[in-house]
Amino acid sequence: MTQFIIRRLLQSIPTLIGASIIIFLIFAMAPGDYVTSQLQNPKMTEERAAQLRALYGLDKPLPQRYISWASGVLKGDLGDSLLFKKPVIQVINDFIWNSFILGVAIMFFEWLIASIVGIYSAVRQYSVFDTIATLLVFILYSLPSFFLGLVMLKVFAVDLKWFPLGGMITTGSNYTGWAHIVDVAKHMVLPVATLTLISVGGLSRYFRANMLEVIKQDYIRTARAKGLKERTVIFKHALRNALLPLITLFTLELPSLFAGAMITERIFNWPGIGKVVLEGIYIRDYPLFLGYTMLITVLTILANILADVLYGVADPRVRLK
Amino acid sequence: MLRKKWLPLVVTLIFILSVFLTSCGKTETQTPQQSQEQKTTPTASVQDSDNWTKAKDTSKIPEASKARTDTLIIGLHEPKGVFNPLYSETSYDNYVNSAIFDSLLEVDFDGTYIPSLAKSWDIDKDNNTITFHLRDDVKFSDGTPLTAKDVEFSYYVLADPTYDGPIALSAAGIKGFKEYNEGNADKIEGIKVIDDHTIQIQLEKVLGTSLSDLNIPVIPQHYYGKDFAKGKLDGVKALEQQPLGSGPYVFEKFVPGQEVRLVANENYWKGAPKIKHLIYKTTTEETAVQMLQTGETDYETSNITAKKDNVELLESLGFVDYSLLPTNGYGYIAFNHKLPKFQDVRVRKALAYGLNRKAIVDAVYQGLAEVRDVPQSKVSWAYPDEKDIIHYDYNPEKAKQLLDEAGWKLGPDGYRYKDGQKFTIHFLASSPNPVNDALVPMAVENYKELGIEFVAEPLEFNAIIDKVNKGDFEMYFMAWGLTPEPDPYTIFFSKGSQNKIGYANPKVDELILKGREELDMNKRKEIYHELYKVLNDDLPYIFLYQRNDLNAKNSRVVGFQISSFRDFTYSLYQAEILAY
Repeated sequence: MTQFIIRRLLQSIPTLIGASIIIFLIFAMAPGDYVTSQLQNPKMTEERAAQLRALYGLDKPLPQRYISWASGVLKGDLGDSLLFKKPVIQVINDFIWNSFILGVAIMFFEWLIASIVGIYSAVRQYSVFDTIATLLVFILYSLPSFFLGLVMLKVFAVDLKWFPLGGMITTGSNYTGWAHIVDVAKHMVLPVATLTLISVGGLSRYFRANMLEVIKQDYIRTARAKGLKERTVIFKHALRNALLPLITLFTLELPSLFAGAMITERIFNWPGIGKVVLEGIYIRDYPLFLGYTMLITVLTILANILADVLYGVADPRVRLK
Repeated sequence: MLRKKWLPLVVTLIFILSVFLTSCGKTETQTPQQSQEQKTTPTASVQDSDNWTKAKDTSKIPEASKARTDTLIIGLHEPKGVFNPLYSETSYDNYVNSAIFDSLLEVDFDGTYIPSLAKSWDIDKDNNTITFHLRDDVKFSDGTPLTAKDVEFSYYVLADPTYDGPIALSAAGIKGFKEYNEGNADKIEGIKVIDDHTIQIQLEKVLGTSLSDLNIPVIPQHYYGKDFAKGKLDGVKALEQQPLGSGPYVFEKFVPGQEVRLVANENYWKGAPKIKHLIYKTTTEETAVQMLQTGETDYETSNITAKKDNVELLESLGFVDYSLLPTNGYGYIAFNHKLPKFQDVRVRKALAYGLNRKAIVDAVYQGLAEVRDVPQSKVSWAYPDEKDIIHYDYNPEKAKQLLDEAGWKLGPDGYRYKDGQKFTIHFLASSPNPVNDALVPMAVENYKELGIEFVAEPLEFNAIIDKVNKGDFEMYFMAWGLTPEPDPYTIFFSKGSQNKIGYANPKVDELILKGREELDMNKRKEIYHELYKVLNDDLPYIFLYQRNDLNAKNSRVVGFQISSFRDFTYSLYQAEILAY
């Protein structure tokens, strides 16, 4: 197993180099750069623009720019964000954890609800519950997040005043410890609910489909024929097998915890990484979005390895020698 | 079994029903209880300026805001956290910095420069010097007096070869600036500290624009300049998030993406602010109005677009004051003057007359933006008399006539041709952009009527700038920001750095130079009126509109005296919270 992991890690090095070159080229070759977007300042002159490009190293040929950036990354230095005028790592650190807690909460509820709904609908296929649940999750699934988000805000924040109107902490508050956790939790309810409701649809279908497939297997019939309780059949024999493909799905979803949700973060004014990076792209803040994209790339590669390892652990049939 | 089966469904239905019922039933029951005894209306010592539309019903002020007796919460688009006025690039960071720092000069309501840190200044035309006399009662918030040394230091930061902020000090033409910025000089020859409160600037040439170019925010040398040397700004940059200035408020805490907290500077030289705490809170367009409505913010600066819908919404809240001020800027459609077809002024005029600009502007701003025919703000002192300029109101007949005169004849297919060439316009439409969403369909239709084919290519903003810089374009829509100083040298002078459209008109060049060199305000006024008349007649662009900025506030906060040129930050020290 250790050998397998080491081999996979080594194999991922060329993948990373290749990915970094592609990412760098895509961004570097997009029209305009950070100085271009500053040309909206009427006082900008060609000389000043050239001076700025030289200061930022944007005047160098592409290969040289790549090498200087990549060697910085190897040393753990992602450069300075042009927009925030401070190290990229610091900018990412300021925002990514906010996205992360939101992501973890959403993932938890998404999997919890999806599993309950999915399994129940599979076990009672074509029942009233199944029909209604299917209808409901599809309605929610098809709603755009900005719409559902705004409706939630209108109902629960403006009219009912149950929850705050966005943000992450109460303005001007200095809570610490438990009070701080409660405060953040209150602010999380609406964005988490919105994104959970929207994403539960897709996932619950996975659960349902996998369960249905397993339930039709011979060994389930055997289990029932043995006279086992229905509960045991479903949860011990069927569910475990149905979960196998979902392990991969789950692991591959892990990097997205750090990715942020651009639209929802905007609507709920959540200080996450998503909207920061989006702005970085518009304004061509290369170091910021290169650093961020590389981070997500690394996480995705790691998640892939993790998925393979976990699958092996869970399913002896695919275990590697 | 059957009951069990139905249970989840029932629960779900009840949930859905309750959501709908509560949301429908709630709207009417919201009137806050009117207290029995008639309260006397509290009054403020400094009133709002009269460009505010005042609230009608102060009894509707939300309780949540009333509970905050010593804190003013101002909503704005997310500040980036560049809290150094020499470096900040977004207007939102600037709003924060304006509360913490002061500049040499202030801008008055009408866009002219008035004293601030500099209590007076002498302009010596013969020797090309400007001498600033500083106030002697200004202290930074740590108690250190502000002196000419600090002003000198601020100039040196801006002149440094590694300075990468947005202030273009080079435009001022300080003697020795180039030698310091690009060469080996270790001093700027033209900056001379005379005594603690006097600093003299030697310029290559004193211009009418010099004051505006030399007006900079002042940062303390003893704090930022500890290890400063030429080419070494690390120390200045490192303090980006621990700012220290002489402004009405002192920086306390920054929570990225959420809020900036400030406390009153008790030693502020104009007098201690009346409100102890100031918080800038990040808001978004989606919820800025609701933030005011629920009382989470007291003032919104940037996230409510000046549209009729929004104004009506604010009025319906009852307790909100709002102010519509003409934005310092204008939208325009640019021509590529290097193309023969746009070199004929009759064609340019035809395209202006032939486009229903009012319909476009109304579609976007619902009557709250005005069509402009000159590249200047209506409220600037440089704006010409409306009677003296041509108004290119929609007139397709006139447009057709002008095109005929210019030799573009209608062909059998309904399009115009000249020398065998079909009149086609390739338009670069930055997307997403609400103005282009209205402009493109209108232009396609209007110009089709004239016999011109209008082809729009949607592109990302940066891609368009890139094409424009390379001269690879025919027409595009964009907007310019304006400063209180009206000189349009960079944009319309034939060699101006931002004149990417290849516009050249000797008369315009002459007037621009004349306007720059004149120091007398009244004479400059006349020159600019003349200049704008020429531009209005020659149409380097199709001028499109000037929109409005919307400021809105809870009527419990008073004392905001604002204009297009003088934003709310100048009023922070005098604003107060009334106890309703």
